[in-house]
Amino acid sequence: MEAIQTGKKKKLKSVSYAKWGYIFIAPFFIAYIVFTLVPQFLTIYNSFFETYRIGLQQVGPNFVGLDNYKALFTPDPDGTILILKYAANTMILWIAGAVPQFVIAMLLALFFTSYRLNIKGQAFFKTVIYMPNLIMAAAFSMLFYTLFSRVGPIQALLESWGVIDHTFDFFAIRVSVRGMIALMNFLMWFGNTTIVLMAGIMGIDQALFESATIDGANSVQVFFRVTLPLLMPIFVYCLITAMIGGIQMFDVPQVLSKGDGVPNGTTRTLVMYLNGYLKTKNLGMSGAISVIMFIITGGLGGIVYKMLSAQYKEPKRHRDRGRNVQWRYEPKRHRDRDKGGNVQ
Amino acid sequence: MKEASIRGKIQLTLLRIIVYTILVFLTVLCLFFFYLMIINATRSNAQLATGFTLLPKGNFFVNLKNAWNDASINIPRGMLNSLIIALSSALITTYFSALTAYGVHVYEFKGKKLVFTFIMAIMMIPSQVSALGFLELMNKWGLTNNYIPLIVPGIAAPVVFFYMKQYMESVLPLEVIDAARVDGSNEFRTFNTIVLPMLKPAIAVQMIFSFVSSWNNYFIPALLLDKAELKTVPIMIAQLRSADYSKFDMGKVYMFILLAILPVLLIYIILSKSIIKGVTAGSVKG
Amino acid sequence: MKKLVAILMAALMLVGIVACTAKPADKPAETVAQGKVFNIYAWNEEFKGFFEKYYTVPEGVTVNWIIVPSDNGAYQQKLDEALLNQANAADDDKIDMFLAEADYIGKYVDSDYTMDISKIGYTNADTMYEYTIKAASDVNGVCKGVSFQCCPAAVIYRKSIAKDVLGTDDPAEVQAAIDSWEKFDAVAAQAKEKGYYMTASFAETFRAFSNNCTMPWVDANDNLQFDPQITAWIDQTDNYIKNGYTLTAGVWDAEKTNEMFATGKTMCFFGPAWYYNFCMTNAMDPEQGCVGDWCIVKGPQAYFWGGTWLLAATGSDNTEMLKDIFETFTKNEDVCTKLVENENQYPNNTKVVEKFANDPNYGNTAILDGQNDIAVFAELAKDIKWENHTNYDQILNEGLQNKLQEYFNGSVDKDTAMKNFYQLIKETYPNIKLPA
Repeated sequence: MEAIQTGKKKKLKSVSYAKWGYIFIAPFFIAYIVFTLVPQFLTIYNSFFETYRIGLQQVGPNFVGLDNYKALFTPDPDGTILILKYAANTMILWIAGAVPQFVIAMLLALFFTSYRLNIKGQAFFKTVIYMPNLIMAAAFSMLFYTLFSRVGPIQALLESWGVIDHTFDFFAIRVSVRGMIALMNFLMWFGNTTIVLMAGIMGIDQALFESATIDGANSVQVFFRVTLPLLMPIFVYCLITAMIGGIQMFDVPQVLSKGDGVPNGTTRTLVMYLNGYLKTKNLGMSGAISVIMFIITGGLGGIVYKMLSAQYKEPKRHRDRGRNVQWRYEPKRHRDRDKGGNVQ
Repeated sequence: MKEASIRGKIQLTLLRIIVYTILVFLTVLCLFFFYLMIINATRSNAQLATGFTLLPKGNFFVNLKNAWNDASINIPRGMLNSLIIALSSALITTYFSALTAYGVHVYEFKGKKLVFTFIMAIMMIPSQVSALGFLELMNKWGLTNNYIPLIVPGIAAPVVFFYMKQYMESVLPLEVIDAARVDGSNEFRTFNTIVLPMLKPAIAVQMIFSFVSSWNNYFIPALLLDKAELKTVPIMIAQLRSADYSKFDMGKVYMFILLAILPVLLIYIILSKSIIKGVTAGSVKG
Repeated sequence: MKKLVAILMAALMLVGIVACTAKPADKPAETVAQGKVFNIYAWNEEFKGFFEKYYTVPEGVTVNWIIVPSDNGAYQQKLDEALLNQANAADDDKIDMFLAEADYIGKYVDSDYTMDISKIGYTNADTMYEYTIKAASDVNGVCKGVSFQCCPAAVIYRKSIAKDVLGTDDPAEVQAAIDSWEKFDAVAAQAKEKGYYMTASFAETFRAFSNNCTMPWVDANDNLQFDPQITAWIDQTDNYIKNGYTLTAGVWDAEKTNEMFATGKTMCFFGPAWYYNFCMTNAMDPEQGCVGDWCIVKGPQAYFWGGTWLLAATGSDNTEMLKDIFETFTKNEDVCTKLVENENQYPNNTKVVEKFANDPNYGNTAILDGQNDIAVFAELAKDIKWENHTNYDQILNEGLQNKLQEYFNGSVDKDTAMKNFYQLIKETYPNIKLPA
């Protein structure tokens, strides 16, 4: 009786519900258009102009076509194309932090969720490992700078152990500056990833593990055959957000190297490069860099999303209640009519 | 049989030792730098120049007084400013992301697939790539030295939207919405009074994430805010790196860093249990 | 779909309206001639401190300080932004006064964003140092502001180390030992033998060289040019680093200022009077400082460094207060005297300076051994000339130091460092033509 009534209601009201979809998503799109899309077009538009300031004097805007892009990809006398160098820096810095971040986070998530291991003090460990994520990147970076500076305690400690002499400078060596940045990024994010992955694992139906174990699967097999596939959506989510963060990398290297990307620009990221032009209101060049970044992120994001969504399998519980049940509020016929305007 | 179980026990113990070692190592790694920071915040500039120590000195309150009352870096004000911005943007971001996700998840409308794909596509675009135009526009509208550009754009947060969407897929039975409709609840009320409470764990998690990312945000605020009374904590902290800073004593610098992270840390220590529980409880229930 | 577009458009317009009306609601401008809000742009707190101590703000006026650190030109960029917006800003949001340094003051003075101070009633500037007026004047000689300090710079040396190295700590004898760069280098070698550093930063002597340049950084056709003085500094520093006469720290680094503790091993520092408060707080540390172990002498080459000018911004609605401030810090002898006595400053008032220079009872005991530093500075101040400055100096001076620091600390070779310097110029001033 009730079921029939609900079914009837669905049919009756289905026409008016579609508009609620538009209403509910409207604020998002308005905000997006005003604060991102319009600025995005302005940015692209600017990239075709020569427009910058020398102090109080404005040069341009003069339309120059693709000259800014040409300038970006013109190698300097010794053959370096700076934008490629900074893109490579950004990638190296991100990967150096992200690989340990995901490996450790996955391990920890498995440890914490394992009934067999039954880790004690989980609340404590989780609290601790998530903590660095709350630390403001600028403050964390400032802290590393002071701790590792020539007059900082780490230098003093290592000197007293005789590991280094007093002429040693953490900020003069590529590996050490990059290492510091990667370490900071790792510390700031592995706890976060752990917690999100844990939530994913705990969301998996316990019965699946049990039945796999009864079928004689060992824990490695359980991980690769059950846990990992079911964890894929949440893993995609983590990876995508981490990548967004990685491409945006700015605060940590900026504060650590005071904007210079020491040594020799090897820790200068794309956004730091962009920031350099932004400060002098060189809208043409910074516009061109922005567009290049836009293309890079788009490309990378597309690849990762495609690659991983091919394996995107929804956990069982989703299938029960989610997509496969096809929660459609409108009968199919009705949708066709909407589309084609052609009834019957 | 027995042998196997003994072997299993030994294996388990060994595994536990390894796991705990890893955990202790990571704990030390996480805490070490902050421990040094706290220790150094208790030392005077002259004491700091003498090098490394793991033992606190008695200069904590002197440093605290100096940092709190510093003329150039008004840290109490900065903390208040950051709190206002971070809290507002956390609320706005989570509410509107849930709203958008709900719109896409629950309703069938023309172009829905496109909308979803579009949001997924823009998720990959970092805000920096439109920063230039954003600044130009805010300049034009006279919104520099204003918090609106730091809060309102949070309405469109694709990452949070994606999380909410996924969460809804797993925990939101559509029968509930139908039942509400039968009871005559309009769509907004259904969302606000029935759906939002069901999303609590996800909202709590995303609020923390949004709060943190707003609190930490440095790039855009640094380009938008110049007025001393509007500056946020990250801008102030980055200023410590500027040329003037040699006039500061390092004890004070450590104290500034400590103050910049302390409030969030305290909130986190108080709330961490329910946050972590919220994450896990939400997924298990789903 | 139409509906969606309509909703979007409507909402967009709404946002637009909100955005337009959301501008800070300014109180209606007072009809009286003088504004109620006085906005000051500065890059640090130095002047703010003096202002709050020695200037009485008229009743009912609120003073706003907008302080942006000057690193990498950030202060200039923010100030430019605000000045370009000055005409559109509400009266109470307009800049009334801003501070500028020697490295870029020309840019503002030669623009319409600063105003003739004689028009607001500031005249009769005969107690100010000539060069400070010239620096604040445009090409037609119209003066746009004043400086509250004069910045002749000296060598500030540690007496105990000088005694150990030279066998004497007497200023006259120390000066005789370092009165040319050749002699200075020779003493550096002696100091090294005794286990000391001559200077604590690779860039410590930079200003002594760069201030004696005979040509500007950039010529009339926008060509970058290296003055022989700049090359001389690079060569000297190269030599100092190789021989271990100096440290690889920058001028503002803690590694350098830590050398000013009693335990420090560095003999010479280069700076004007503001250097005491700004850089030498470690020397004045109650526990580990070494007050009284310092003296100043002219050194190898006379020079000046920095200086803070107060400029009158066009459009200010607080012209009376502007004039008041200018007079307080240049003409008020009581204030100028206090700047010396309480603040270790060297004021821009020749009358007050002479009073101290000729006073046998005056001596600096705040940091020096009671030496009459004002007398030394007064002698040096006579020779200061204002020439060969460009609007690009801040970025070029600081940029050269920053990029070469990587060479001096061993992370890149010299060519790469110079290439990085050129790259910085290209990014900041695309108009400057670089050497092929």
